Amino acid sequence: MLPLPGRFNGAVRALAAQRFAATGARWKDVVFERQFDLFSLADARAVEQEALDDGYRFDFSATVSLESEPDKYKRPERETPAFTDGGTNADGRRQVGVGDNVIRKSATVTGPVALISRIEQVMGYLADGIPEGTIAVIDDSGGTLTAPIIEGFAGVICLGGTVRSHLGILAREYDVPTLMNCKIDTLSDGDVVELEVTAAPPAADAYETGDTGHARIWLVGNEG
Amino acid sequence: MAELDYRSLLETNNYLRTLSDTTYWLCITRTVQESKLFPMNPYMLLSYLNSFYRLPTLLREIDAATPAEELGDRAREVSLKVDTVNAAWGMPAFYLIGREMLMNWGLLRPGDAVEDVVDVLDFSRRFNLAYHRTDGHISNKEFGDRSQFLPERTLQVFEADLHGVTPGDRLHTAATKLVAQLSQYAFLAHCECRIGLHNSGPYNFGEGRQLIVRDFFDLTEGDYPWLDGIATRLPVNNLTIPIVFKDTNFHLMDDWASFEAEPSYNAANIAAVGMYTSDALTDGYVPVGMDNADTLAETMEQYREILNEATADLWKRIATWTREQMIDAGALVYSSVAKDFAHLAGTYRQEDWLSLDDRVQRFKPLMNDEYGRDNLGEMVGLLGFPHQKTNEYTMARYSGLNQNMLTGIPYSVLTDDDFAPTAGDRLSGSSSLPAKNGLWTTSAGRIDLDEYNRRARGFTPAVLQGANRYRDEEWVKWHHGSAEADELYRLAQRGSRNLEGRGSGLRRADLPDAGEGASGADR
Repeated sequence: MLPLPGRFNGAVRALAAQRFAATGARWKDVVFERQFDLFSLADARAVEQEALDDGYRFDFSATVSLESEPDKYKRPERETPAFTDGGTNADGRRQVGVGDNVIRKSATVTGPVALISRIEQVMGYLADGIPEGTIAVIDDSGGTLTAPIIEGFAGVICLGGTVRSHLGILAREYDVPTLMNCKIDTLSDGDVVELEVTAAPPAADAYETGDTGHARIWLVGNEG
Repeated sequence: MAELDYRSLLETNNYLRTLSDTTYWLCITRTVQESKLFPMNPYMLLSYLNSFYRLPTLLREIDAATPAEELGDRAREVSLKVDTVNAAWGMPAFYLIGREMLMNWGLLRPGDAVEDVVDVLDFSRRFNLAYHRTDGHISNKEFGDRSQFLPERTLQVFEADLHGVTPGDRLHTAATKLVAQLSQYAFLAHCECRIGLHNSGPYNFGEGRQLIVRDFFDLTEGDYPWLDGIATRLPVNNLTIPIVFKDTNFHLMDDWASFEAEPSYNAANIAAVGMYTSDALTDGYVPVGMDNADTLAETMEQYREILNEATADLWKRIATWTREQMIDAGALVYSSVAKDFAHLAGTYRQEDWLSLDDRVQRFKPLMNDEYGRDNLGEMVGLLGFPHQKTNEYTMARYSGLNQNMLTGIPYSVLTDDDFAPTAGDRLSGSSSLPAKNGLWTTSAGRIDLDEYNRRARGFTPAVLQGANRYRDEEWVKWHHGSAEADELYRLAQRGSRNLEGRGSGLRRADLPDAGEGASGADR
């Protein structure tokens, strides 16, 4: 059992059992008729508070969670590069990542990257427009964070999901060259990369067999 | 209310176990649910609980007004939001997953709410049998991941009236851009989940062509309060876009209404398109902009512009939401997957479907992002809840392991008495979202809810009136050309550009060329 479900579920079970025993009633007369006696909003708050008091901090997935309850969540750490064994080819370009190609194109795509993970960045692009040729690096395989701007990117590097994820579906519909499930070395805003969107998309059973990551990402140049 | 006997329990458990296997397969083979914008996993868990507590009561009222099998007939004739992913799979699955959560917490035992479980699954089975009547299966999975519920009379109208396209022409461009915009908007309006999109088919269109039917629901003012004032220039709430592909085999259409094709979906292979709308008040599909290719392209371009603006408007609105508002909206989108049954039956009340039950609200403090992610993963992927284990000799259908996602009802409820048969019918709830103030967008115009329910209660589509309801594809095979069959087909042909009044008995070779007034694609 994963740590937090193990902890929370165990706590709820223990409370419910204890409260039921204290009723002295039959189960059928308690399970719904006295359900708030078995477990209440205050109990849920106490379960959460106990974990926080022990120093436990939660992983966040939506930025709104971290921003609205910063004391409950782990701060995002600079992640260790997921891809570090890239070689250098004859042109002197270094391979900085791999991913799963969504739509097979006839030519690769090259452009400067922009790392996007926050609502404010999207709002900024909505107001000011997206510089031509920008390749978005997005760690969110959902389709809603970048919903109003996705069509404006020359390419997308998505650090999660699969070609079947919502972002993969939208990339296909919008015909935006996109690599999903990418593992990359550290990239900074403005680094110029080339996406091998000429690679074959993963086979239908690729995510069961693990035969993924065939499209390469090359670093063409660093900003400045 | 359920009849509890050995036979009904056997049927319930059979349906439950099949759903358990299918849902496990979908969860481990399809896609990852995540979003940086919405706390998806927390809202999904809350939605399952909301379904558990509310659905049985709401379905009993609907079933009494319009039986589930009649609702299946309605859903089979046109595209309604009670479709494969929402009603056929999601409604029973969400309800049962909520039951698993409560069992895992020790707040429920497998015999509790037995009458609710039997009623929900009985409703679901009757709906599915009627919805899938044409192909005779109960789910897409049972049919080999395929979905062919439309009758010939509807498909013939599509084939005759769709407009041919070639890549780069105005209509091809307009259609591909509109479908992209609709997909994106549907994900956003539904808080990142896929239930605003639907796909069905494939259907054989001859000469190496296949038709898939793509649907998009709840596009403007209607049930979701966050769509008040959004996309109000759009005159319809639902759109159906049938698309014919050449040289593409859609080999999978699963119970989440998503597809896989070989070669993969490529807009360059689109050969013909059309556009229709339908809702709880339409008598069949209503053509939208179908007069000629230019009009269709112009309509699609206009709709895309409206939805592009609506996407930005809605995104800006959602970006200001609190975490609780995002969670409430997502949970309500998921737990209301069956809401359009109430629209069909004329029993819809906003507080029934767009409130989180008080019994659910008590669990909110548990729902941080990590717990949401990991508890969902344990429940539907790892099947790691202790009670999901079975004895050591068993091997589940897809995993081969001794564990099942969903827990059956013990037959001992027929002799034991220490269980509570129902979660009860007293519904009380709330939501942190702004109240709904707008109207409902329907094929009868923008109307208020009382008017919508009143119209729905008095309406039965002509193809389902009287004996027509039982004139299925088998009957047509033996009676084509008869006055009764002609009458049935003419109902589907109303408004058709090329088949109006042609009646039954037409074969593919008899259909007029779609090229007239179209963009030049051959057939």
